[in-house]
Amino acid sequence: MALTDVKQAAERSPAAPDKGRPRRRRAHALQSWLYLAPALVLLLGILGYPVINALWTSLNHSVLTNPDGDRFTGLANYRAIFADSAFYSALWHTVLWAAANLFFQIVLGMALALLMHQKLKGRAFFRSIVIIPWVVPSVVVALIWRYLLDPTSGPINQALVALGISHNPPLWLANESTAMPVVIALSVWKWTPFVAVILLAGLQSIPEELYEAATIDGAGAVKRLRYVILPNIRTSLALASLLTIGYSVNNFNGIWLFTQGGPIGATETLTTLAYRKAFSTFDLGGAAAVAVVLFAGLFIVSTAYFFAVEGRKGKRL
Amino acid sequence: MLVAVAIFVGPFLYAALSSFKQTPELNGVVKDFLPRSAYTGNYTNLFNDSNFPIYLVNSFVVAIATTAICLVVAILAGYALARFKFAGNRLLLLSIVNMQMFPAVLMAVPLYKILRHLHMLNSRTGLVLVYVTFALPFCIWMMRNYFLTVPIETEEAALIDGCSRFTAMWRVALPPALPGVAAAGAFCIVQVWDEFLYANTFIDSDNKRTLSVGLNSLIGQYTTDWGQLLAGGVLMTIPVVIIFAFLQRYLTQIAGGGVKG
Repeated sequence: MALTDVKQAAERSPAAPDKGRPRRRRAHALQSWLYLAPALVLLLGILGYPVINALWTSLNHSVLTNPDGDRFTGLANYRAIFADSAFYSALWHTVLWAAANLFFQIVLGMALALLMHQKLKGRAFFRSIVIIPWVVPSVVVALIWRYLLDPTSGPINQALVALGISHNPPLWLANESTAMPVVIALSVWKWTPFVAVILLAGLQSIPEELYEAATIDGAGAVKRLRYVILPNIRTSLALASLLTIGYSVNNFNGIWLFTQGGPIGATETLTTLAYRKAFSTFDLGGAAAVAVVLFAGLFIVSTAYFFAVEGRKGKRL
Repeated sequence: MLVAVAIFVGPFLYAALSSFKQTPELNGVVKDFLPRSAYTGNYTNLFNDSNFPIYLVNSFVVAIATTAICLVVAILAGYALARFKFAGNRLLLLSIVNMQMFPAVLMAVPLYKILRHLHMLNSRTGLVLVYVTFALPFCIWMMRNYFLTVPIETEEAALIDGCSRFTAMWRVALPPALPGVAAAGAFCIVQVWDEFLYANTFIDSDNKRTLSVGLNSLIGQYTTDWGQLLAGGVLMTIPVVIIFAFLQRYLTQIAGGGVKG
């Protein structure tokens, strides 16, 4: 439907290159909006409006089980979450979670990307197989690891006992002190291949001659990494970092499917806290307030990225 | 390299092997690494005793519908963003980049309210609508970057030869950008296949659940049939692996979609 509209409109209006006469240029602008119309309608309707709705909900007392009972309460929800120790605990877990994911994924992703870039036999096979954790659905990843890490019947603990390494093996996801490190490790395991693929794209864009020149000049592996590779994949690194921060902060599955934020809130991040508030305690207003705080933080990071990377390239459009 | 393969692939191989094991082997009563026999009972049980086939069909339907809508809309919008000069282009681009960072959980509350208002809670159509929101920004972004890499000169030639703008886009600019379309589509399918939060929140009835929620619901509170679950996991993974195998050479482009341009 939308497609035929655009098609007809496109056929009616004259084909106008960029430097047309004023009348043509107006037709041109109109046409570009026609191409964008379906996207804009969808994005405004189901993305723009909900954001405003979320902001509004965060200023209201709103309970899931009482659809018509919303009433305006100003900043009460924000005051409530800022007075709640569970919020600060979740905030700290979010920062820890994002920082650990960022650090390990970039470092290990870089190492993996360099491995994938090596000219060795079986490289194509290697490349296609190491990305498996990223490709496999999160639910499947969760169930496999929950099986492997099951405290009693799981193969890992069975092996630890059988090999005599430990008589009282850790409870992994079920223990307050081990749960967070384990979910972080699993998240790094799942997302490192993704980071590696982004960085690999950067590596592939470095001209071969640069390596050769550096090698001839006597640069060793470390120096090549420092002076040839890293400066040339800055954009890839920036993108990978941005995506890693965004994806990990918003990563609900990576925690919920393993621990649901537990045990006793040990892995609760702002994301799981907001979800729990909305759909377990039915406090939509409070949930919206937590989500808005979370989004504000991400918005700042992502806008900074846009101006740092996209802005620098200047006019292209 | 071998170490990396073992770390990243090992757990899956073990899980896939285990899906052919019988219950005593899975519970560790029998401690063999390999299954004693190729027991396929987990798979047949999964199809006969659980709603797995229904989840599978639901996931297919939702993924295909979402991807089709996203691609059509994203091709048009991506083309416009790459080719036309107009007021607000950069602002629009900035918002689309930002949309990629939208916390799903921020959207969960208002989307729940909207779907409730539209009486689309517990409906697959509602779910498709919601999925379009999170997949679309990325698809637009990717299509824009792909169209930017297509030389503008051939299109200009086509326009001078009397092609309409739409024909020029459809016949001249789109074919070289097809890898981008395939990559965006694949990414879309994979994201929908994987999605859990919304599907878990907006769908109540078991017969409308998608695979991710359905499979997760089979993990029991007290007893869990790991054999069936692992078998389900293997089956759920196969389509995704096939898609990625086809897309192997576009892979760096999928991930690097944002780097380009």
